[in-house]
Amino acid sequence: MESLENAIEVRHLRKAFGTLKAVDGIDFELKQGEFLTVFGPNGAGKTTLIKILSGLTQPSSGTAKVAGFDVTEGQPEMRKKIGVISHSTALYADLTPLENLMFFARMHGLEHPEDKSLKVIEEVGLSPRRNNRVRTFSRGMLQRLSIARAILHDPAILFLDEPFTGLDLHATNVLKEHLQRLHDRRRTILMTTHDISCGLEMCDKVALQVQGKFAFLKNISDVDKDRFESTYFDAVRDNQFSTGIGI
Amino acid sequence: MNLYLNQIAAIVWKDFVTELKTRELLSAMFIFALLVILIFIFSINLSIVKASEVGPGILWVAFLFAGTIGLNRSFMLEKENDCLMGLMLVPADRTAIYFGKLISNLIFLSIMELFILPLFMIFFDIDLLSHLGPLLVVVFLGTLGFCVLGTLLSSLSSNLKTREIMLPILLYPLLIPIIIAAVRMTGQILDGTELSDMMKWVGLTASFDIIYIGVSIMTIDHILEE
Ligand SMILES: Nc1ncnc2c1ncn2[C@@H]1O[C@H](COP(=O)(O)OP(=O)(O)OP(=O)(O)O)[C@@H](O)[C@H]1O
Ligand SMILES: [Mg+2]
Repeated sequence: MESLENAIEVRHLRKAFGTLKAVDGIDFELKQGEFLTVFGPNGAGKTTLIKILSGLTQPSSGTAKVAGFDVTEGQPEMRKKIGVISHSTALYADLTPLENLMFFARMHGLEHPEDKSLKVIEEVGLSPRRNNRVRTFSRGMLQRLSIARAILHDPAILFLDEPFTGLDLHATNVLKEHLQRLHDRRRTILMTTHDISCGLEMCDKVALQVQGKFAFLKNISDVDKDRFESTYFDAVRDNQFSTGIGI
Repeated sequence: MNLYLNQIAAIVWKDFVTELKTRELLSAMFIFALLVILIFIFSINLSIVKASEVGPGILWVAFLFAGTIGLNRSFMLEKENDCLMGLMLVPADRTAIYFGKLISNLIFLSIMELFILPLFMIFFDIDLLSHLGPLLVVVFLGTLGFCVLGTLLSSLSSNLKTREIMLPILLYPLLIPIIIAAVRMTGQILDGTELSDMMKWVGLTASFDIIYIGVSIMTIDHILEE
């Protein structure tokens, strides 16, 4: 039954900050197990879209359902099913990685919080530093730990906002492999990124968001990967000329 | 229900582990309260005024100012790295987050007060030990009210750039009934009055504590939303 239902369903979604339309009428749905990559220039509203879908901010109008829950209702049950990587790490700087993850594991009501935390720390390759304060971590290490926090409770739906930021080559590969595994296990994933090859590699659907709108949304099989870069620039240019704002 | 209590406990545990490592919160509050008391000690002449008359006011001013530092610091922890956003993403009821922060604030303030009381006793040469029971009840009731309202308002002002200024401006006026009652009761206790002879004040403070807890439960959902 559940597999027939849409994991994410977005209808006429809008979010305005004053006169600025950060999200301006987005419609799409993702079935369980689908992987959508959203590309788009800075300020296109990708982060805002993810914030609305994860219930962190309210849309101005339109509806969005995630795992069957209306995102505006702020149901704890919905938050059990989602994992989020965002621009900020949301980690306690004076605690160690182990303490941070154990805290979040307990907040999620997981059994064996310590074992689970140690396991994901191992997965993201932070075991040698698990007892150092997070304050002393480098950018990439923080990003690894954010990833660990997002996957700790094995959520059915993942929102990843530029998850590759700051990662070294090795960590990038580890994250790619992990996402591939999650994809194989039919987790639904919505990822934003500026890295075209990374973004196109794993997804089922590609969207290009420009000025709050999806300039296009296609199945990956309909996308010419080699010409994607020029498609991207064309779409961005067309949209910016039509609204009179150039870079 | 079990999960709810566990989430509250997890927040308290997290604040304690942080404090054990940094020791910033308790030491800052303690030093500040001590300084307030010292300044008053050297500016009033205790051979003219009765210690039990000026003492309670000074004691509560010290608790109030030190407590405000504590509240600001406690919420700063949640704002650094946008940790509050992380808390908004866990499947916890917003009231669990509120009660977790409330309890850890209450414990930290109480610890600070337990260190300040003996010093207050020495400096003002007041015998607190013979009234210890009632005094602790009064200090608890006052501190509870302060933390209930302070935790709520520090989450309210957390999104404002002027948080450090806004918190006391919002908090102190609303605390007036509790603080007046606490100062009055402390004074009477030091004069030897029994707690049972001032049930009016006790009832007033307890009522405000309960009213503010109710207000917090009702509003925290909206306050924590961006
Ligand atoms: N809280 C806010 N208040 C006012 N404007 C905002 C707020 N958050 C976002 N915006 C605006 O909304 C627009 C979209 O921002 P958003 O962060 O969603 O872009 P983005 O696509 O994630 O960009 P980037 O690629 O740089 O991360 C921007 O113009 C931004 O200035
Ligand atoms: Mg962004």
